Amino acid sequence: MAARFASFARGQLIALGALALVPLLDLALPAAGMESLQLAGASRSVVVFAILAIGLNIVIGWTGLLNLGIAAFQAIGAYAFAILTWENYPFQIGFWPALVAAALIGALAGALLGAPTLRLRGDYLAIVTLGFGEIVQETLKNVEVVTQGTKGINPLPAPFGLTSDRAILWFYAYLAILVVVVYLCRNLEFSRMGRQWFAVREDELAARCMGIEPDKAKLKAFAAGSALAAVSGALYAAALGSTAEPASYGFEISILALCIVIVGGIGSITGVLVGAMVMLGITDVLLPLASDKLQDAGIGSTANVFSSPNNYKYLPAPGRPRCSTPSPVSTSRPRDACWSRAMCPAGSSPPA
Amino acid sequence: MSSAQPLLEVKGIVAGYGSVEVLHQVSLEVREGEIVSLIGGNGAGKSTTLMCTSGVVPLRAGEIWFAGKRIAQAGSGVRADLLVPMGLVQVPEGRRIFPRMTVLENLMMGAYTRNDPAGIAKDLEHVYQLFDILKTRSSQLGGTLSGGEQQMLAIGRAIMSRPRLLMMDEPSMGIAPLLVARIFEAVRELNREGLTILLVEQNARAALKLSKRGYVLETGRVTLSDDADKLLVDPRVREAYLGD
Repeated sequence: MAARFASFARGQLIALGALALVPLLDLALPAAGMESLQLAGASRSVVVFAILAIGLNIVIGWTGLLNLGIAAFQAIGAYAFAILTWENYPFQIGFWPALVAAALIGALAGALLGAPTLRLRGDYLAIVTLGFGEIVQETLKNVEVVTQGTKGINPLPAPFGLTSDRAILWFYAYLAILVVVVYLCRNLEFSRMGRQWFAVREDELAARCMGIEPDKAKLKAFAAGSALAAVSGALYAAALGSTAEPASYGFEISILALCIVIVGGIGSITGVLVGAMVMLGITDVLLPLASDKLQDAGIGSTANVFSSPNNYKYLPAPGRPRCSTPSPVSTSRPRDACWSRAMCPAGSSPPA
Repeated sequence: MSSAQPLLEVKGIVAGYGSVEVLHQVSLEVREGEIVSLIGGNGAGKSTTLMCTSGVVPLRAGEIWFAGKRIAQAGSGVRADLLVPMGLVQVPEGRRIFPRMTVLENLMMGAYTRNDPAGIAKDLEHVYQLFDILKTRSSQLGGTLSGGEQQMLAIGRAIMSRPRLLMMDEPSMGIAPLLVARIFEAVRELNREGLTILLVEQNARAALKLSKRGYVLETGRVTLSDDADKLLVDPRVREAYLGD
């Protein structure tokens, strides 16, 4: 085929555009008199995990191979990046070369794992990749000479000389990388290689009848997915200034990536972008926010309930022993008025 | 016998799965321009013969020659992905279309190993002309077609590979009789245009009527081989396969 390039799909542009606008909320909210949500950092995580999930999508969504150990390749990318840039190692090759090197090392690792395991099907491949995920974590933890064990490799130099107070700029730099990744993958999807992966996913025997060698196709998918996972790991480490401990690349991360792929609609790059925003919106923005608000309200903290019962309108106020004079609503079931001995203020009679 | 070298020559092949030997010394040949049918009951080894020829099942003994090249022998063979560009194309049993690709995408997968846009466009037009229903349904997902339409798609997809020899495995299986007639008509038409076809069928009568020659396979051995019109009147074939 001659060099023809697919441009972005409309959904991809909308998703990327929406993501680009998110940190601006941080600027708009204080202006509107509300508290800033510190969304730039969370948006940067969205980019990191979107790249991880785009990689996983190649393996699961396009080629139909269930890989439950994608976080291992993220770890490999993060540590490769760290080793190549850490001040105590002689390499210090800089951000971009290290990012590319991490991708290549990730692809190599993917091919090495893929070669002996791709004959396995479905569940069995899932088990092997899951095991590989654990092996990588344990190895990183125990090869302390190289990886600093549970301390992780840090501090890592920030890319482009960005400091943590320039979070918004940092996010846009990462977003630019995501745009490139989306563009490349979009073209991969409609390339001969992409078609090959789809054919293998749909029907291996039929693919063979079309002149496709399924094992080779799967190996390429594994390598491509792992390379993107490694890029994601490198960006993660660069953003954190540390590889963090090996346990940060555990099974939950693989499952998070899987959730992102599935929530957005398996096989779709737009879906991955949306899925990443939804899933990280939940884990990184809504959950911390909700738990803050709940804590402010005292919910989830029993200590508060007992120390300042006045805050809790549904509890009987001291001196007004509602337990002994049940409200009209609960006349038929007086026990409901007061649901535990401990909740009854002193002086009121607990239920029988 | 014909003087020209056969396009496909299967010489005493032995093959099987695990400890079970399915084919015991099967030999057959297909000459340029012929339709040859391979008939036989369930488990006779018809599909395995095709699988060996298309490089999916390895040989234990014997050789297979295609267009003057040895493509398989015991312990080694040309990989499936290299056989397709040579012109040896299989329509697999059970259609095996790609269900989540559109009809057009399925057809284009057939042209996967080719790199001549003009020729591909011409062959696509040819397929649409042969099966006009595929043109109407070109943007529909393959999985939503009826069985007969899927079989047409599978044949169309194989034609997109521009075969020299088309091997068809049970093209009439599980398809409405009306569509079976339509598909056999298309096979005849393709042959008239010069395509060589090896047809594996349980529907022995229809296959033999279409064919020039036929082979009868029984439990992994060729027990009869003759011109198709002679097989059609052969008492053994009539009794065993034609239900007379």
